[in-house]
Amino acid sequence: MSPVTVAAVQAAPEFLDRDATIAKVVALAEQAASRGARLVAFPEAFVPGYPDWVWRTRPWDATATVLYARLLEQAVVADSPACDALAEAARRLGIWLSVGATERDETGSTLYNALLHFAPDGTLAGRHRKLMPSGGERLVWGAGDGAGLAAIEAGFGRLGGLICWENYMPLARSALYAQGIDIYLAPTWDNSEVWIPTLRHIAKEGRTYVVGVTACIRATDLPGDLPGRADLYGGAEDWLSRGNSAIIAPGGDIIAGPLTGEEGIVCAEIDTEVARAARQQFDPVGHYSRSDVLRLTVDTTPRAAVTFRRDDADVPARPSTGSAALSRDAALIPGQQASLPADERSAR
Amino acid sequence: MTTLRIAAVQASYVLMDRDATIGKVGALTAAAAARGAQLIVFPEVFVPGTPIWIDTQPIWTGDEDWFALLADNAVVLPGPASEQLAAIAAEHQVWLVIGVQEREPHGSTIYNTVLYFSPLGELAGRHRKLVPTGSERTVWGMGDGSTLRVIDTGLARIGGLICWENYMPLARFHLYAQGVQVWLAPTLASGDGWIATMRHIARENRMFVVGVNPVLHADQVPAGFPGRDRLIPAGYLDDNGPWLEEGNTVVVAPSGTVLAGPVRQREETLIADLSLRDVTVARRHLDPVGHYNRPDIFRLQVNTSPRPAVTESGTAAAISQLNGGSDEHHASDEPART
Repeated sequence: MSPVTVAAVQAAPEFLDRDATIAKVVALAEQAASRGARLVAFPEAFVPGYPDWVWRTRPWDATATVLYARLLEQAVVADSPACDALAEAARRLGIWLSVGATERDETGSTLYNALLHFAPDGTLAGRHRKLMPSGGERLVWGAGDGAGLAAIEAGFGRLGGLICWENYMPLARSALYAQGIDIYLAPTWDNSEVWIPTLRHIAKEGRTYVVGVTACIRATDLPGDLPGRADLYGGAEDWLSRGNSAIIAPGGDIIAGPLTGEEGIVCAEIDTEVARAARQQFDPVGHYSRSDVLRLTVDTTPRAAVTFRRDDADVPARPSTGSAALSRDAALIPGQQASLPADERSAR
Repeated sequence: MTTLRIAAVQASYVLMDRDATIGKVGALTAAAAARGAQLIVFPEVFVPGTPIWIDTQPIWTGDEDWFALLADNAVVLPGPASEQLAAIAAEHQVWLVIGVQEREPHGSTIYNTVLYFSPLGELAGRHRKLVPTGSERTVWGMGDGSTLRVIDTGLARIGGLICWENYMPLARFHLYAQGVQVWLAPTLASGDGWIATMRHIARENRMFVVGVNPVLHADQVPAGFPGRDRLIPAGYLDDNGPWLEEGNTVVVAPSGTVLAGPVRQREETLIADLSLRDVTVARRHLDPVGHYNRPDIFRLQVNTSPRPAVTESGTAAAISQLNGGSDEHHASDEPART
């Protein structure tokens, strides 16, 4: 395999405006693709913007509630027009496009912090819902199941990723390492000085390339009519996130970034053969594991809250119009990464 | 809540000289204890030092004398060397944690082991490195799962892993689940990448991390060391510089912030006061084995059985025990008492 260019896009979303943010994703992905990027990664919850207010409001107060309602309305639903726009951009540009989104089921009211991976053939090849939100995030996001831990074969290497502090879950990382990933995506909101050491550690522990990508947004980027804006947010010096996007080589060396305090596209050339050769020195799921002593089992079963069944098989089990949603879930379990058949998509 | 004063001792060993190195351990422990340290941590395989030839030569090339020295100077449990170390801990009323080259009483395989001595002069814990790294595999065997225990010192729960074991996520998780508050990482690893790892691990389990390295300049190889002229080829010095061990000792807070160090290219004992309240408070943010775990998805099973090469049954084994042959049948899961 020959080297390829990967890009981490550090930018501000069009806050709580899904379609405008997706238009920005498409425009920035075009820029990255024009610089030769074959994989373009966007930050955590980028569409329609990380719900930063969870750290500034009192839980469940009136402002937090109205902001939640707007986030719910502007969330991304898999296999919706919003999702199709991202998939079409990936297809048109011939890239892998990984986008952090606040996502929900079509008829659901619980939001998930998801990482969506679109393939160059225009399919949604993978969806990972963050397994555990952090602190205030637990007031807006639910927890995903193990089905989203599947690695993806991108041709030039194997992709996987975890979101923000999931990267401090050693067992989740091990689940990715065990699938032979070469490129580890770490979209985050974490601005701390320790974040870059964490990315470097993961690169050395997993002997993978690590693409850290963070939003860059300040109060002046927020819409004027945002509920609670005057009380919660200041001016240009009020950073919601300064960004710290960086790309790390498999030994732990920083090869691009970190970029701080400005929007920009952080690019690096990577070679998955380098990552694989680096595992001569360390391989956490091979010669440096001790499977006789330490044995990890990972349950990747999709866990729907309710499963409908009905014995007369020619009638959909689900009482109303939700059969498409069920088949969508089936398309996203590990090992069936090709997403929906085209006919089912067009039927929607 | 408790505050614990720790000392991380970055020092030079006397290469492949167990007794001279233990003499240094005594002096350095006395000095750290005089500064009020309650827990004193020494580097990986400090007694009797790193088998540096494994990285300066092709494997198995003219290393007979050096391996013989290593085997002769390795620490046997229990034995005179471990008794001296226990006595040092007792004399100064400190917890003494130290890396040694260990072997079975009649064994020829060396283990990379960390020993935990209590202020009462007891061997309270032992950890044999699970996986040696690269060329280390030509001198060290592998430990089993029986020595992955966190120790309650009464002051703090302490535990840790050796060098690149710190890159084993499952081994770390097993120790996290035992409530470790102060993580000890004796190592030989140099450079900023290692510091990044120390900081990451501190933040991953929201605990204090103490990384401890030796320091050794090429000129410090003893004058009479066998084959001294070929131990460190000129080309090796050209590539790596004169520091055979550069040092990298560091103390990190549960936030991932560096509290002391890293110190390089000199002997120095870092002293730090660790407030265990900081651990408790930090874990409200993140607790990888509690509220930030997903036990419905991830299930880690750990086999902690000792795995001796042979398990005997029958009368001969019992007679040997009666005759005081406990050395020959040293149970690898039982910390020896001195």
